[in-house]
Amino acid sequence: MNLNDLGFWFRDFWAEFKRESSGLVGLALLVLFLLVTIFESSLLPFKDANTRWRDITYWQDNPINAPPVWTNLFAAKKAARTINLEQGKREERTDEEGRPVVQEVFSYQFTADKAPLDIIFHTSIQGSVPLSIEVQRPDGTRLQITQRYVEFTAPSQVRVSINNDGKDSLFAFLKVHEASSNLSRVSSGSLRGSDILFNKAREGMAASFEALKGEYRFIMKAQVLNSEQFMMEGTRLVVTGSVSGILGTDNMKRDIFSGLVAGLKWALFIGLFTSAVSVLIGVFYGIISAYFGGIVDTIMQFIYQIFVSIPLLPVLIVVSAVFKPSIWFLIGVMVIFFWPGSVMTVRSMAFQIKEETYIEAARALGAGHRRIIFNHMAPLLIPYSFASMALSVPSAIVYESSVSLLGLGDASIVTWGQILHDAMLGNAILNGLWWWVIPPGLAIAIMGMTFAFLGFAMDRILHPKLRTR
Amino acid sequence: MYKWFATKRILKGLFMYALIIFIMSALFNSVVETTMRSQIEEQVRLESMRLKNFTTTALQKFQNERRETLIKKYKLDRPIWERIVYRAIDTITFNFGKSTIIKSSRGERDVLSIIAEAIPRSLILFTLAAVFEILIGIFLGLKKAQKPGGSLDKSTSLITMIVYGMPTWWLAMILIMFFVYVVKLFPSSGVHSVPTPEGFMYILDMIWHTALPLLTLVLIGFWGLAFVVRNIVLGILQEDYIMAARARGIPENNVLFGHTLRTAAPPLITMSLLSLLGSISGSIIFEGIFSWPGLGNLYWIAVQQNDIPVLMGDLAITIGLYQAGLVILDLTYGFLDPRIKVGGKA
Repeated sequence: MNLNDLGFWFRDFWAEFKRESSGLVGLALLVLFLLVTIFESSLLPFKDANTRWRDITYWQDNPINAPPVWTNLFAAKKAARTINLEQGKREERTDEEGRPVVQEVFSYQFTADKAPLDIIFHTSIQGSVPLSIEVQRPDGTRLQITQRYVEFTAPSQVRVSINNDGKDSLFAFLKVHEASSNLSRVSSGSLRGSDILFNKAREGMAASFEALKGEYRFIMKAQVLNSEQFMMEGTRLVVTGSVSGILGTDNMKRDIFSGLVAGLKWALFIGLFTSAVSVLIGVFYGIISAYFGGIVDTIMQFIYQIFVSIPLLPVLIVVSAVFKPSIWFLIGVMVIFFWPGSVMTVRSMAFQIKEETYIEAARALGAGHRRIIFNHMAPLLIPYSFASMALSVPSAIVYESSVSLLGLGDASIVTWGQILHDAMLGNAILNGLWWWVIPPGLAIAIMGMTFAFLGFAMDRILHPKLRTR
Repeated sequence: MYKWFATKRILKGLFMYALIIFIMSALFNSVVETTMRSQIEEQVRLESMRLKNFTTTALQKFQNERRETLIKKYKLDRPIWERIVYRAIDTITFNFGKSTIIKSSRGERDVLSIIAEAIPRSLILFTLAAVFEILIGIFLGLKKAQKPGGSLDKSTSLITMIVYGMPTWWLAMILIMFFVYVVKLFPSSGVHSVPTPEGFMYILDMIWHTALPLLTLVLIGFWGLAFVVRNIVLGILQEDYIMAARARGIPENNVLFGHTLRTAAPPLITMSLLSLLGSISGSIIFEGIFSWPGLGNLYWIAVQQNDIPVLMGDLAITIGLYQAGLVILDLTYGFLDPRIKVGGKA
């Protein structure tokens, strides 16, 4: 079988494959998955999700257990969504007293019915800087939220949250408008800062929230005391809404959509690699066993029997619990237990091929065992194993997720099973956090479905006996 | 002749079991021994705490002597291959030792009694599910084979492919979320309510608790079975005697359930038992989602508590059950298929 034959065979195969509609759906899904893997970095809303999935500080600005943004479509009261304002308007001027000031102005259009959970400022500052944050509300009120003095010799990160740092000044603002009888019932600890900031200034604002919609201007003002040392860069503002991202967040504030995208390549890799390697081993095992026959066959069949009589998942769990393996080790163990799956069919087919006259002719011409096995037998049998390759991809993925579900997965990567493990630990089922439970499992199921579509379609083409009349 | 076939198969099964246990004991030898050593230390510490009026040197001497006796007793001073063999023999004779943390419901620390409690619960759930799966699967498979390529065949085959890679435990999570917390229809976990009711209510209570795990297993399980049944039956339906039966005017249902099913029985039973074995080796940890206190749930607890003796005992028992299943599978197949019974030359 040379390259030309292979091309011919493939054209033949494709002509039949085109008629299998489910196979085409599977192929389309597979291409989609591959595209997602290739363009992963541009699809990830949080670019470092791969490396910093377990780093709490990376996710600190997100809300906890927030539903997806699109749930707003079904809600009567629209919730504010999480937004990153990366770039403010930078102004350098002198203030009323003639001191040089650098300020960054962020404009936030507030249109929701529920206030955001928090407003968070991030900036990198160097030098001795009196820092103040002000906000201009749509009704014209200008509030100073917080004020602090920072002193850094090297550029350092500053994080200001209006809930933590602006509580007192916002409560003072509340006191101005609210009647004292209502005030006695609340304290600055029980009321969220953002609920005051986005509330209509009126009597009774402590008791109920009425959204004051419009443009809010957040101003971060830094006084420049020493212009040589001074530096303020990378200022950004995060509006932490009560809905967040395409698929919401979990109880560690992680964006679940990022987790799904980051886990996709691992699912693909684990599935494809495990099944490809193990099916290839199985095919050659079957061929060699059938080709040599006799005592070799007996011994190889005995070894095969040992492997098929070991239940895989329990062994996989105990191996993972005892050795705390990396993903590579886990894949290796899976390969060790997956290869027997394709041995028997290949062996029985190889028994027939072995008796063909052209094998005899090759032997008569002085071809060695290796040449006969690799050049004459394997090329005929490997195409038949493609179907079983595709069909064993889902089980590899499910086994890895099962092990991860028990919390025994490789902690240096993100997989769908691990997200579900965290969901179990975080009582997602009890608390009805469906956006944390459904998507990862659905992703596993869809990935399995893709390869089932491909595998069954190939099976029908390669084994015509199963065809419907 | 069947007697010979059966004895041979059973002996082979026992040998396989021993061999696999031996491999496992070689594989996990070091971690098992670490646990044993720390258990010995604990025992020595407990014993010396009970002693009163001992001088420090005497106490130390006593501790050292006890430690040495125990190490000798568990053969920890022997060369490694001897230890592995010894450990394997221990496991094969169900001598799993004591757990480190987990206790049985009666408070025992004996691994065997902890597992013995769990086995019947797992077996009940999985065999019950298998029975339902087989019934539904065979019925649906026959219907599919009757009109291959028809709308029923196509739609159910599509669903078979859709659920092909769906993890059972994930479906369990979804069903719990819906049936337990949204529509408050079923309990979320366990086999019994607390306090456990008596008499007839005990059975009702158990059925109520079993319903959702059972539903989960059946809901995913029967599709694949129906697909295989379809393929087997489709081959038989093309035989001449089926055409003859039809030509004689025998009702279609009789042809399907009488003539076809009899011929299809051996491979069908193999498939059904294989699917039961498959769920033991593949989806057993789904018990953990329901806190169904069987063997699968025991894996969860043992992993979380890092209880190595229980983990090893659970593994040995699961392997044993799996082996027994394989033996039963071959025995039934041999019983149903006369060609195997004669067994060629043997």
